[in-house]
Amino acid sequence: MVEEENRGLSPPAREDEAPQPLLRTLAPLLRGLERQSRAWLDSRRRFPLSMLQRAELEGLADDLRRQGEALDVEKPLLVIMLMGGTGVGKSTLLNALAGGAVAQASFTRPTTRDPVVYYHASVKTDRLDPALRMCRLASHDRAGLEQKIIVDTPDLDSNDLTNRDKLRALLPVADIVLYVGSQEKYHDRLGWDLFKEQRQRRAFAFVLNKWDRCNTGESGLRPDEDLLGDLKSEGFENPLLFRTTAQLWLDAAKTHSGGGLPPRPADLPEGEQFGLLRNWLELGLTRLEIEAVKARGVGQLLAQMGRAADGVRPPDLTAEAEKVKAAWTKTLSDEADVQADVLVGTLEPYQTEVEHHFSVEDQARYRGLMAAYTRLTTRLRYAGSGLRDRIPLMGLKAKLMGGRVETPTEWNLGEFVQKCAETAGERVLDQRGTALINRLLVEGDTKGFPLALLSDPTTSAGRLNWREKSTRAVIDALAEVERRVTHPTGARKLVRGTLGLFANTLPEISLVATAGYLLWNFFVRGEVPDLFQMTLVVLIPLLVVIVLHLLILMLLPVRWAAIRGEFRAALGARVADELGRAYLAIPGDVAAAVLDERKQVDALVAETKQVGDWLAERQQAARVSELYGK
Amino acid sequence: MQPTEHRSAVGQLADDLRWLEDHCRKQPELSAHAGTLRLASALARNVIGPFLEGLDTRPLHVAVVGGAGAGKSTVVNFLAGAVVAEANPQAGFTRHPTAFLPPGPGFAWPSYIGFLGPMHRLTADKPANVDEDVYQVRRIDTKGEGAHALSEFVIWDCPDMTTWASEGYVARLMEVAALADVIVYVASDERYNDEVPTQFLHLLVKAGKAVVVALTKMRPADAPAFVEHFRQEVLGRLPKLPGGGAPAVPVVALPQMTPAERADPAGAGAKYRVPLLNQLLVQGESTDAARARTVANAAKYLSTAGDGLLEVARRDLAELEAWKLAVTAGRVSFEDRYRREYLSGERFQRFDRYRERLIDLLELPGAGRVIGGLLWALRTPYRWTRDYVFGLMSRPDVLNLSEQTVLHESLKSWLDGLQAEALRKASAHPLWKQLAVRFESEMAPHARDRFATEYRTFELKESEDLEGAGKALVAGLEQNPALLHTLRAGKLGLDLTIVGAVIYFTWPPGWLLLLAPIGVSATHQFAELATRGVAEGARARVRAHRESLVTNTLTAPLAHWLGEWPTTGGTSFEKLQLVLRRVPDLIRQMDERVTAKVKALGAPKPPPIPPTGERGA
Repeated sequence: MVEEENRGLSPPAREDEAPQPLLRTLAPLLRGLERQSRAWLDSRRRFPLSMLQRAELEGLADDLRRQGEALDVEKPLLVIMLMGGTGVGKSTLLNALAGGAVAQASFTRPTTRDPVVYYHASVKTDRLDPALRMCRLASHDRAGLEQKIIVDTPDLDSNDLTNRDKLRALLPVADIVLYVGSQEKYHDRLGWDLFKEQRQRRAFAFVLNKWDRCNTGESGLRPDEDLLGDLKSEGFENPLLFRTTAQLWLDAAKTHSGGGLPPRPADLPEGEQFGLLRNWLELGLTRLEIEAVKARGVGQLLAQMGRAADGVRPPDLTAEAEKVKAAWTKTLSDEADVQADVLVGTLEPYQTEVEHHFSVEDQARYRGLMAAYTRLTTRLRYAGSGLRDRIPLMGLKAKLMGGRVETPTEWNLGEFVQKCAETAGERVLDQRGTALINRLLVEGDTKGFPLALLSDPTTSAGRLNWREKSTRAVIDALAEVERRVTHPTGARKLVRGTLGLFANTLPEISLVATAGYLLWNFFVRGEVPDLFQMTLVVLIPLLVVIVLHLLILMLLPVRWAAIRGEFRAALGARVADELGRAYLAIPGDVAAAVLDERKQVDALVAETKQVGDWLAERQQAARVSELYGK
Repeated sequence: MQPTEHRSAVGQLADDLRWLEDHCRKQPELSAHAGTLRLASALARNVIGPFLEGLDTRPLHVAVVGGAGAGKSTVVNFLAGAVVAEANPQAGFTRHPTAFLPPGPGFAWPSYIGFLGPMHRLTADKPANVDEDVYQVRRIDTKGEGAHALSEFVIWDCPDMTTWASEGYVARLMEVAALADVIVYVASDERYNDEVPTQFLHLLVKAGKAVVVALTKMRPADAPAFVEHFRQEVLGRLPKLPGGGAPAVPVVALPQMTPAERADPAGAGAKYRVPLLNQLLVQGESTDAARARTVANAAKYLSTAGDGLLEVARRDLAELEAWKLAVTAGRVSFEDRYRREYLSGERFQRFDRYRERLIDLLELPGAGRVIGGLLWALRTPYRWTRDYVFGLMSRPDVLNLSEQTVLHESLKSWLDGLQAEALRKASAHPLWKQLAVRFESEMAPHARDRFATEYRTFELKESEDLEGAGKALVAGLEQNPALLHTLRAGKLGLDLTIVGAVIYFTWPPGWLLLLAPIGVSATHQFAELATRGVAEGARARVRAHRESLVTNTLTAPLAHWLGEWPTTGGTSFEKLQLVLRRVPDLIRQMDERVTAKVKALGAPKPPPIPPTGERGA
């Protein structure tokens, strides 16, 4: 008992020590941290936050702001909040402290529905936290409680659930929570859970009210010992516990009239400590203690902020991104092969048209007799490609068979290929696109890259206009093959150049030579050519043209089979290129963005820690440690 | 009905509800339902089971329940008429139930399988704070008194449900509360409007228990006002009884007592004890009737609350449904892909062979071949022209991906889609989590194996199908000689008539003779168009049939298997489905049996709670 009598008291000499401007320096730091964490919370991020994490961080940011504002004053206010179940005597306790009916107390439960704020008259109400300003205000003029605000809260366990919400709204304001229990309720689950939830954040002192009901002299563990045991297992080795019977003090105060402290009631049960509680509140909590509690509260807040931020730190996915990229490269090239096959397959019915087109392109370089001849043969050979779709029956057939494109009557490469790509898309490629996204996502996940991160960018890449892309790929590939055919390189170029030169000169030369020979014979030798000799003028150049043409066909074939191979290779490369461009960058980008977020969180954690360390170095050696467990 | 049948049915019901309770405890958001399920399972086990087995209705059980420190032990002492329970200032001291038997050899202690579930009886006296699944039985030792006031009753002192430690032992409270015929609900002046005990009271009323409220610790002067206040605040908000009526709950006040009164319930405290005993005796005027009421109400509670009890599984079922939807969506896209990627472009080349055979059939057999050969020679120019024109006009086909490729790729994307979905939702519910974890290792390989087997069957069936359709085309004509001969004769006749007519009308032979080959070509072309039409019709039928073949042999069985997969292989979801199917059935059976038995007893079914409760006030 003696030891306990001493605990609440501290030498008044300390009141005179010049307080360091610790808390005022802290205020801007806290605001800075709050801004930083808010900015981070509000920014768009890749790495998802769960609802709980987000709510926790937002609550912490709110607390940072609140603390920053509360500390930025000459004399910070200490908020002491009574918390406990209905009927344990919170209001009676406050009334006994006030020496009169400040808060409503009665036998009906729950009694207190509106919180009561008990504060010194010198404190302007606008200095109170907004949450407190909404409560019932009761001012006093007791010097000992000048910097302290005592709040009576609604219960936490009655059938009136709104009371619980009110308490929860108020709790963040508290610096010290006075956990009030009675013989019945000192470790009820609802209150205990709230205590466990809040203990990392605030100072806790304990009151066991209705002490007369506890101290019955019956056998068994006394509630205070039981409670001390519970607290010990929660890490409160030496908690501040006051055993009170507030009702008796209140009754005594009611009969006491006149100024000064109400007297000590006559028939107090043994071990009653209400006087101690009052002493502690009035004298024990000096300015030094208040600052220490405040600083410690901030320290706890910072520690929790650090932990919370650490908990939402995104992982470093750079290595995984590499692995995913490697896996995707393989998948995408396989996919490109299939897509190219499908696109080439769609062109298959138009092989004669393509051949025709290539022949015409190729023959553009011929002039004179060779040009006339090739134009004629080409027209004969590809008569069908013009004829085919002019017959209406064929269109009907195409409809019946499905999967065909009606060839345009005019050879228009762009339009035609677009239609082909559309058909291919409708038949095969669209479904494959959706399937591809799932494949990629699953592969990413098996390589350790969370699906949630890849899902959005991959899906939006899948939503690009792939039909247009494949149309362009087909056109480009065709153009490339055409260029390769019309502008070959190496030996082909030599052969082609030679043949072209011959084709453009030899027929004419042979015509002129034959004609010259006949004329020479006629004029010089006087021989009149017979009919056969006359036809030689036509036959010999024709022969030359035919031989050359056969040579060209043999050496420089423009057959679908040959075009197809080259076209397929070029198209495969194009499609692979398109797919790679759309998808391959995603893992790297996401990993970089996540890494960036990770750095931001690291910076936040580091800064929180810095402020926390700064605070820890300067913390006063005030005696407040018993208010905090381990 | 055999007792063993009752036993197994009721035992099954109790077990199923117990399993659901454990299932709820494993899921934090459902743990609030665990208590209710425990009560339901204990009702089946402790009340209905023994009743159906025809066990003695004596003793009646009275359970004293309430929040920590509300004064349960004091109330037990007052019921017993002597200080038998340790009243202890420590809140939540009592951790397991203790039964107090009236003095004298009144009845046998109930002993049957499943009595009080997992709790076993302590043989030696131990303090009430032993925190294990046990119960104690003690005999009330009153000296000198005559017959005990509650000679038909066992009084149960129960643990509380409010302290932080109560989560560990509230199941024991539920077990005894379910057993009880009458419940004494103790509420102190501090506790009476607390949420947790009030919810418990609501649950008891819903379960149809007869409840007597003992209000404690108020100042004697406040007592009447306090009782009135309690009636309004708490009793006014009670739920309806299982039968639908408003519950009548008597209230007895036990104000703050002096130590002397507390120490001598039968003497100094008698003025408080007597009203309490009266209320209790009213509830149990006849053991048979009281027990029948307890049982009937329990049965009614189970049959009305049965669906509500199963509500806890709603989320699981919704997720299961979502999984099945995902599987179905995958199946639809599988079939769609098959149709578009393969079937739409497939020509079934084998069919052309049968078409040619059909044409061949129209040619004459035997000696007629000579005429046929002559006509064939006549048609030579026509054939050449036709082949050239068709060569010019027909196009090569679109190159299809092979059927096997399309099917396997489609399967792959079906599974990929499901896996992606499972991964996406893995954090939302254990079902998806389990799917995501076991997808790669268990489900996908199995699914692929199954598909491979089904694919083999499918391949066999499809080639049979094609062959069959083709053969049917030819056989239809071959097996109908009359039609065949008519067609052959008709064609031959037409050809010969044309040739004859041309020769006859254009004699002497001139260039108009050319009309003959043109004519026979025209008949042939006509025959060919006709067979082509028949063949195309058959082709379309094969295509349609192929689609249904894929659905029936490949996708439907696989989709069914995939959809059921989470609920197979001994998972908790399998059990869950089983339980959900079984419980309503069992409850219905149980209800019927109870009703029959209550009727058979001849005991007129008393009203759920006698409306005599007002006397206690």
